[in-house]
Amino acid sequence: MSDLYNESEQQAPRSGLVLLQALILGLFCLFAIRLWYLQIHRGEDYKIQALENQLRQESIPSPRGLIRDRNGDLLAVNEPAYALGIIREDCPDVDRLVHQIATWTGKDYFELKTLYNKNRKRVKPFEPLIIVPDLTFAQLAVVETNKLRWPGLEIQFRPRRLYRYGTLFAHVIGYVAEADEEDMGKRPELALGDYVGKQGIELMLEDRMRGAKGLTQYQVDVNGRRLKERVLKHPQAGHEISLSIDLGLQQLCMDWLSEEAGGVAVMDADTGQLWALATAPSYDSNDFSSGLSSKQWAKLRDNPLHPMQNRVIQSVYPPGSIFKHVVAGAGLHYDMLDPNETVFCSGSMKLGRRVFRCWKHWGHGKVDLNRALVESCDVYFYKLGKKLTVDRMSEFAHAVGFGHKTGIRLPHEKAGNIPTREWKLKRFGESWQGGDNLNMSIGQGFTLVTPLQVVRFFAGVINGGKLLKPLLLKDENPVVQSRIPLDDARLELLHKALIDTVEDRHGTCRRIRTKGVVVGGKTGTAQVVRLTDELKELKDDEIPYRFRDHAWMAATAEKDGKRFAIACLVEHGLHGGSGSGPIVKAVIDYLFNGKVTPKPEERKAKARAVRALSLKHKEKPRAN
Amino acid sequence: MPIDRRLLLYINWPLFGLAVILFLVGVLNLYSASGTRLEEGMNMAPFYHRQLLWGLMGMVGMVVFMLFDYRHLKTLAWPLFWTTVILLVAVFFMGKTIYGARRWLDLGFMNFQPSELAKIAILIVGARILSKEREPLNFIRLAYVLGVGLVLAGLIIKQPDLGSGLSILMILGGMTLFRGVTARVFKTCLFIIPCLLPLSWFFLHDYQKQRIMTFLDPTTDPLGAGYHIIQSEIAIGSGGFWGKGFLEGTQSQLRFLPERHTDFAVAVLGEEWGFVGTMALLTLFCVFLYQMVVIARDARGLFGSYLAAGVFFYFFWQILINTGMVLGLMPVVGIPLPFISYGGSATLVNFCLVGLVLNVSMRRFMFKQS
Repeated sequence: MSDLYNESEQQAPRSGLVLLQALILGLFCLFAIRLWYLQIHRGEDYKIQALENQLRQESIPSPRGLIRDRNGDLLAVNEPAYALGIIREDCPDVDRLVHQIATWTGKDYFELKTLYNKNRKRVKPFEPLIIVPDLTFAQLAVVETNKLRWPGLEIQFRPRRLYRYGTLFAHVIGYVAEADEEDMGKRPELALGDYVGKQGIELMLEDRMRGAKGLTQYQVDVNGRRLKERVLKHPQAGHEISLSIDLGLQQLCMDWLSEEAGGVAVMDADTGQLWALATAPSYDSNDFSSGLSSKQWAKLRDNPLHPMQNRVIQSVYPPGSIFKHVVAGAGLHYDMLDPNETVFCSGSMKLGRRVFRCWKHWGHGKVDLNRALVESCDVYFYKLGKKLTVDRMSEFAHAVGFGHKTGIRLPHEKAGNIPTREWKLKRFGESWQGGDNLNMSIGQGFTLVTPLQVVRFFAGVINGGKLLKPLLLKDENPVVQSRIPLDDARLELLHKALIDTVEDRHGTCRRIRTKGVVVGGKTGTAQVVRLTDELKELKDDEIPYRFRDHAWMAATAEKDGKRFAIACLVEHGLHGGSGSGPIVKAVIDYLFNGKVTPKPEERKAKARAVRALSLKHKEKPRAN
Repeated sequence: MPIDRRLLLYINWPLFGLAVILFLVGVLNLYSASGTRLEEGMNMAPFYHRQLLWGLMGMVGMVVFMLFDYRHLKTLAWPLFWTTVILLVAVFFMGKTIYGARRWLDLGFMNFQPSELAKIAILIVGARILSKEREPLNFIRLAYVLGVGLVLAGLIIKQPDLGSGLSILMILGGMTLFRGVTARVFKTCLFIIPCLLPLSWFFLHDYQKQRIMTFLDPTTDPLGAGYHIIQSEIAIGSGGFWGKGFLEGTQSQLRFLPERHTDFAVAVLGEEWGFVGTMALLTLFCVFLYQMVVIARDARGLFGSYLAAGVFFYFFWQILINTGMVLGLMPVVGIPLPFISYGGSATLVNFCLVGLVLNVSMRRFMFKQS
């Protein structure tokens, strides 16, 4: 304390005082010069820039191309929808606004907030960040009336995809959904919140259907309200698309498949255009275009019947007896088969120590090729298969398009499988056995095909051997991918056998006979499991759903120069004739007589009962 | 203690008036910056309201700082220093984390930043040490003085709060220069400091490096870090000579200007009041600073002079760095402009320090009695 008040009266250092004054002068000069430069020298430039800041640009969404069926009926259209976004720059209190939006829309605040935070980095501060992609009209009304009280709130008009037959065409048309990172990476013109095709035709023809966005420029006032607006670039609508699908026929097929699982493909045998591509169960494309909740998605994903699966192109099944036409074709092609030569069927055939049975216990007696195909005699084909062996059978099957993708314009097509010796060795580490030849000859075993491959092959049988690319668009020209390597006479044998199968007293396809139409067909049963003895004793109705065989039918129909091939598979439908036959018959009636045969109530009731029963036993979904 | 009439007589009224005027300019500017033109019940939490409250508290603080004899601070210097150190350490263990930095102590009724206190502490301790120095500082004395500052600065930089930490060192450095150093020290520092700058690069956080890179070329990141600088220049430049008028700044009103109520407050002012306004503010600040030089010159005793010089540097660096940043002459550092930027504790401290300098000016007659 002693020196506290007795400080020597020293003056502050002079040099220090000079330094301080110099610093003040320096500060003043530095900033004065800079301010003069910014505000006076370059003031005009900055004024222009500030004005440009008030101008904002916004893209105008382009309406997606419409989708019609072959007769011009609209399948996919665009309807006005309103999205709710936040412009960060204009929003004084984002949290409050998000809370308010949650109150208006009844959505969860935290979900909205998470969405906001996720996209914050990806949207410029003066561009709207979409929080609710789809406002209902009631919500829109509420938001509209309050909009001026909440700066930063932006209502965006955007066309939304509406599928008028959401479940009928889900697997053909697919759906659109908001573009994700990957989409935006692939297509630089996409912005966050844009919709892109994710599945089906919507995906495959994305570029054709999207069109080009327009651009508008507008000035905003202090509250972010729009003042003047000027369109810089008008949007271009996407191209319209007409499918080859016939709406009525598709409806009919879907009706028949309802409550069941399976697929139907109807192909114009001259052009390759598909008139129907039905697969059940289905889902609703519309669920996706307004954003699928995780709950909805989980329900779709975990459904044991896999509604997302397109059974015509993505599911592979053993072809069963319909493969006999392929095996017969192979026999004819390699000249190892005389169509007139008869084989005696006693109901079974021995190979080594194993006995291979014909489905007809007491045998078919003497059968030639035609008879064997008409009555679907297994023994005849066992013998043929033994002669041909796997090498020739698989070579021919490959030649007629099995084991390869057809190239249909839909994503995720499966190729199926045609076994070879090497394949079996690689896959199972076992060599090819004699019994395998026999199994293969009747379409069981390792052979797997898609209904689409089947319909293409049978279209080839009646159109003179052309294997056509399956087409989904009406204006596409036929593409001949390859030919069935058989001359007309040999092909005619197969064709005649098809027709006889329908016309003949003993034919398995009698139920699809149609007056005035030349109809051919072949049934098939694809074994799901090798039935144990105890199951064999059961009546059809008593076999548990998941053990029942799949029912195949391939058919051809001609009248007045119109030719169609049809493939139908009903999962666990037991028998081709009863399971798939009625559906094929309905298709033929529709195609040639314009007759719509609704699915009988009793079949519906039965399907429902089976479904209810089978869901009780926890089913393991088949992975194929 | 009866109030001596001479105490009031000797108050440096210009400084007092300038502080209040600058503060009011700041409030007016905040009023514009916080978008009051939004409709009723819709505006942001009104910053200017709170700023006014802080300002009133600050003026009370200013008066409090004028009541006692500043020379008592000499004895308080070291206790205050150690108290600050303890508080800074406490921040590490019980501090509140805001925006990823632990800088605040929660006092219940307010969040307190010990780093603000540290600025006062360094002033007083610095003045105490330097007023004892009879000679211009040689290396050993310089190392001692700077070491004291480094204790506080190091603790603050670790928070991390590079801005406050460096400002401690800069205040002390300024005071040291005011005292004067030997020619040798001066020459050596002139040589060493430029060499140290590149090394400091390795101690910077990534975002700080980014800011420096952005400052060198704002266009590299026009929507990120460069956005601030670009928009700030547009705001100020577009004000032109006369400005766009009060509340008319499109940049600030349209919210293109981030941080417009804190670090970039001057940009709002520049846009609305133009060259005329910014030059007026610059002049006010220069006169404000000059008053401190006057007080340092006239103070009785070196301790008072050094206090005034310290406060001078306290304000000088902030004005230089903040305005330099807003005008695009420096990288973006989160340093507010005294009295103009919104900031609670900063406003309080500003007023208190003005009070401290006024205290020095009031008591310059004390020893004139023979």
